[in-house]
Amino acid sequence: MQNPEYSKTFDVIIIGGGATGAGIARDCSRRGLKAILLERKDIATGATGRNHGLLHSGARYAVTDKESAEECITENKILKNIASHCIEKTDGLFVTLPEDDLSYQARFVKACNEAEIETEIIDPEEAILLEPSVHPDITGAVRVPDGSIDPFRLTVSNILDATEHGAVILTYHEVTGLIQEQARVTGVKVYDHQTKENHSIYGSVIVNAGGIWGQHISTFAGITINMLPAKGALLIFGHRVNNMVLNRCRKPADADILVPGDTISLIGTTSSNIPYDQIDNMMVTPQEVDVLIREGEKLVPSLAYTRILRAYAGVRPLVAADNDPTGRNVSRGIVLLDHAERDGLEGYITITGGKLMTYRLMAEWATDLICKKLNINAVCTTAGEKLPGSRASAEEINEKIISIPATQRQSAIYRHGDRAGKLAENTQTENSLVCECEEVSVGEVKYALKELNVKKLVDLRRRTRVGMGTCQGELCACRASGLMGSSGIYCTKRAKEDLSAFLNERWKGIYPVAWGDTLRECEYTSWVYESVCGLKPNQD
Amino acid sequence: MQLQQYAINKDNFEQCIKCTICTVYCPVAAANPDYPGPKQAGPDGERLRLKKANFYDEALKYCINCKRCEVACPSNVRIGDIIQTARIKYSKKKPALRDFILSHTDLVGTLATPFAPLVNTFLDIKPVKKALDRTLKIDHRRSFPGYSSQTFESWYKKQAAEQLQYKTQVSYFHGCYTNYNYPQLGKDLVKVMNACGVGVHLLTKEKCCGVALISNGFLKQAKKQAEVNMHSIRKSVLEDNRPVIATSSSCIFTIRDEYPHLLDIKNSDVRDQVELATRYLYRLFREKGNNLQYNDKKLKVAYHTPCHMEKLGWSYYSMELLRMIPGIELKILSSQCCGIAGTYGFKKENYTTSQEIGSSLFETIEKDDFDYVVTDCETCKWQIEMSTSRKCEHPVSILAKVLK
Amino acid sequence: MKFDTIIIGGGLAGLVCGIKLSQQGQRCVIISSGQSALHFLSGSFDLLNSLPDGTAVENPLTAVKELIPLEPDHPYAKLGEERFKERVKEAERFFSEIGIPLKGNSDKNHYRITPIGTLKRTWLTLSEFITCGNEHTLPWKEIAIFNPVGFLDFYPSFVADELRKTGIQSGIHEFSLPELDNLRRNPSELRSTHIARILDKENNLHSLGEILKEKSGKAEIIILPACLGLSSPEVIKTLEKIVGKPVYLIPTIPPSIAGIRVQQYLKDYFQQLGGIFMMGDSVLKADIKDNLVKKVYSYNHGDIPFESNHVVLATGSYFSRGLIATREEILEPIFNLQVSYLKERKDWYTENIFEPQGYQQFGVATTSEFQGISNGKTIRNLFVAGAILEGFNPIKEGSGGGVSILSALDIADKILKNEWVCNCNNTL
Repeated sequence: MQNPEYSKTFDVIIIGGGATGAGIARDCSRRGLKAILLERKDIATGATGRNHGLLHSGARYAVTDKESAEECITENKILKNIASHCIEKTDGLFVTLPEDDLSYQARFVKACNEAEIETEIIDPEEAILLEPSVHPDITGAVRVPDGSIDPFRLTVSNILDATEHGAVILTYHEVTGLIQEQARVTGVKVYDHQTKENHSIYGSVIVNAGGIWGQHISTFAGITINMLPAKGALLIFGHRVNNMVLNRCRKPADADILVPGDTISLIGTTSSNIPYDQIDNMMVTPQEVDVLIREGEKLVPSLAYTRILRAYAGVRPLVAADNDPTGRNVSRGIVLLDHAERDGLEGYITITGGKLMTYRLMAEWATDLICKKLNINAVCTTAGEKLPGSRASAEEINEKIISIPATQRQSAIYRHGDRAGKLAENTQTENSLVCECEEVSVGEVKYALKELNVKKLVDLRRRTRVGMGTCQGELCACRASGLMGSSGIYCTKRAKEDLSAFLNERWKGIYPVAWGDTLRECEYTSWVYESVCGLKPNQD
Repeated sequence: MQLQQYAINKDNFEQCIKCTICTVYCPVAAANPDYPGPKQAGPDGERLRLKKANFYDEALKYCINCKRCEVACPSNVRIGDIIQTARIKYSKKKPALRDFILSHTDLVGTLATPFAPLVNTFLDIKPVKKALDRTLKIDHRRSFPGYSSQTFESWYKKQAAEQLQYKTQVSYFHGCYTNYNYPQLGKDLVKVMNACGVGVHLLTKEKCCGVALISNGFLKQAKKQAEVNMHSIRKSVLEDNRPVIATSSSCIFTIRDEYPHLLDIKNSDVRDQVELATRYLYRLFREKGNNLQYNDKKLKVAYHTPCHMEKLGWSYYSMELLRMIPGIELKILSSQCCGIAGTYGFKKENYTTSQEIGSSLFETIEKDDFDYVVTDCETCKWQIEMSTSRKCEHPVSILAKVLK
Repeated sequence: MKFDTIIIGGGLAGLVCGIKLSQQGQRCVIISSGQSALHFLSGSFDLLNSLPDGTAVENPLTAVKELIPLEPDHPYAKLGEERFKERVKEAERFFSEIGIPLKGNSDKNHYRITPIGTLKRTWLTLSEFITCGNEHTLPWKEIAIFNPVGFLDFYPSFVADELRKTGIQSGIHEFSLPELDNLRRNPSELRSTHIARILDKENNLHSLGEILKEKSGKAEIIILPACLGLSSPEVIKTLEKIVGKPVYLIPTIPPSIAGIRVQQYLKDYFQQLGGIFMMGDSVLKADIKDNLVKKVYSYNHGDIPFESNHVVLATGSYFSRGLIATREEILEPIFNLQVSYLKERKDWYTENIFEPQGYQQFGVATTSEFQGISNGKTIRNLFVAGAILEGFNPIKEGSGGGVSILSALDIADKILKNEWVCNCNNTL
């Protein structure tokens, strides 16, 4: 059946389902534009979903990049208000280790103050009381308003708001060409990976929000944007080691940030430049793993024996600005290109650079430009209007779904904010757990399948944390694919293929760190799926 | 090379690889659907509680701390400890008066002893039981262990001098049950030890081991008593050169394992010298030979392995001592929880679960004509005697019966 | 504590070895650090399903000839073709003699049906599980699949769709009982074992029987997930009598009813023969003198050691911590035996989880007689059995059950033939 969306004409076509694309879809639809978002995979699969999940205060950039620092602190305050259910206000500590120069602290505090980032120098002993995991030999500590932010939840909420304001979201739709008429881009060619069909979609303004992949998209219009792909590897630890974000108080370097995110902690990153043709092929090497552990232990000694769940790497979408080989001192400032001005091509703009923290601001800039091009006078409301999920307090939601068992109730509220209210009518069977590590119930899976645009198990994982806990899918993946099969998302053959693909996607992050208990878990998973279930990669 | 060296670290819950084996062996989850089960309550829950304390589920109170999950776990996860620690750390429920009465065994024992016949009759009267049920939520179907009119300690005072004649000496941690409810067990122990040429002493000061205080959430009090006990134990072991033995598997388990794991009280300097009387005797016989003179009494007995004995792994010693008795016919009952779990089964809200857990054990016991059921735990004894028609005895008491 | 043989590890290999030794009058102890991997048994034991290059094996007895030259360190290669055959036949007798009836034989692999409906080759299957001799045709036209409401560890529609390929029509039905409704109050414990404890009760079994009878209609057979029969396979027979139709089981996601029952049965059998089973204890260290293990010490028993003439190490692979993988090495933690593995961590894995992984092949190096080696010297009375062994990939070959059973039987034989001194007089 032909998707009716293909034949419509849109005001805006957004390419890319990262935080920026989702933010633009939200902003445009709230300003009354008819928007469609096209994403080649699932939402938040690029750089959005592959970073620290750090709600920067801007302090990290204060010394080297004042502009970014100021943007961060402004957005930090906005996001704490509009996306409260995606954020934990943990605060952060910039600590000085014996091997670091304590004099950097004064420079750091001064720069923070200039960027209007609140700082508080605290006694090392007090810092250890505040965050007991930190190395006991620290010589200095500065408290800043850092926090943690869940990029998947943030993107999903933006998408939800966009959809509720009329936007169309098509995932697994890869843009394969830009349709041009004279000096104007009028639409896109798109390949639907699910149905394996090609389509054309037309719109007035086409926004390239493809991040690092934007370079490739622009080549369809013969336009050159040079991106500088910088790979950053991170490790996920099995549980929460720290409850405040920990940073080294020194010039940014390898493995100097430990962020508590949901049930886990993350250390990162490394930094290395990679060729552009490798951006879809991120593998974490044993060397990177060893560096992350070695440096991480200096910050938090208990990391030496904490179980590591996964390793993964993201690509920073840096627009080549200078020739710095580490990719670190580049200003990650927002780049908004109007290709009419830059390249003489109308109807096509690119928004790139920036960072997760500034996704909303980027969306605002892009939407402002779109409105200008369409001669529409509409005010941006995304800084003031709360996202879906952040519109009620945890206490209010808790009361509403009090009948759900305690632990899964708290988990659902944590993940979905006020939308957890949809689980109020759960039956006992729906309270059954699919994922026992992360307390994802049948009801929550059903909600995600119904309302959160899930096509595959990996999508479900990003919406609910199925398979993101200690067992990495060992018990839950099978149950979830069974539910997806029986809810009509796909046939049982596809369900099994999807299950295999899901396990392999998990494995790619596990094997770089598969020793100790993690390897024991892997062996057990293989017994369950290969030996007991006889699962194969292809079902033919 | 020690396996533990690679297996146990501070975040012991991380060794859990979600294999679900513990869930198979939890007696509570099998009987009470309101209990989340050991995997959820233990390692899974712990990870969430580390995120935020409000992930604590008050349903953890249903755990009976039998440690059968730990015995079954192939990953050495201290599931029971994790659950108990979480209860201590996060539970907001204040222990009730009922829990106070049930857990302060030595205080209540001291008060009851002078009036023992009165108290026993009183506690056995139906309206009293009903009243206790109503006011204190102590289940009316539960029968109370009787209080003795003379404590073991006061009986012992008259024997103390005589005990000094033996070349080898031990200190006996008698526990509340022997002291207040069943001094006969202590008397049996003295008889058996003397027959082996060993003199029995008491510790300078003995307090209740604290097992009931811990499970009812009276941590401060438990710690206080533990410190008194450790002081006495150290004096006995390190100064007087007397190892400490006990007859109660729960007391010994608490002192050896729960003190360091749950109360954070170190005992490694003397831990090896604190053991069960049966293990002491086994070692003695192994080193010096068994010179006991048995009578020709014929006995048919069934041995029941208490949960904490299963965890200690020491039922072997009790069984071997029983096997050495010439006239004995011994059946080993398959190891399972009897359901009482100390004070747990006394509570109104747990009574049904408690009896359901033990039901198949009771059936097996009733099927055969045993003279005695033998077990190392006093609360198992109450439960089995209340729920079956058989009399229950400690292995040491059985030995005392078959001595010439 | 003196024994003839100490067996470290209470899984399939340890129990089979312990039973065979006890049958011959040996006094054995099994020390088991928790429950074993038998808890994940599919209901079948595999002998050899594939050669290392992926070639499917129809007849394990002949295929082993091809395997031996390819994998010289494989436990089957250590047995050699003749002893392999001998042990296979012995294994088949062994289970039937101790009272575990199994279907299948080593001349031809048969097929079992997995929880997701796939047909998978295997050697021996517990009698109540569904099997067939041929991959493409099954002897039924219409069957009925029943699943308890809300049970997430079994996938009826997956099974039905796979069976449709062989021309079978399946009706899918859900059922519940009041006691199951009660269990459903618990969000995580609607597991196979908890359901089985309910369904195995006589009154519930009858209610279930009535439901199956009524709903199954014209179906020739009834298929249930393995969530009953924990107490005994007789439960299934009783159910068949009530329904009047054959009832078969399909395994579920763990915990495995079949595995737990087999484990329990073997353990009880071992204990009835006088064997001592110590559950939940870990062996910490051993005294080795003159290349012989003299004593082993455990966590629970502290300064009271275990002494014996022979020791069997059947501690399993990584899961049961027979093997430990650290960031730097793979080691055997009790005796520090020589382990054969690749030194570079990157060689332990491949990118595709469905490809053979290096780590799956690693294991303890032994002599051709399965004796362990430490510091270059053979420890003569220490025999190594089961999943901890080097040179085979249980998952890819489908040989895990076979290696455990055959190596255990073979080692028991060596121990029995090699009785040096018996210290059985003193039972302490």
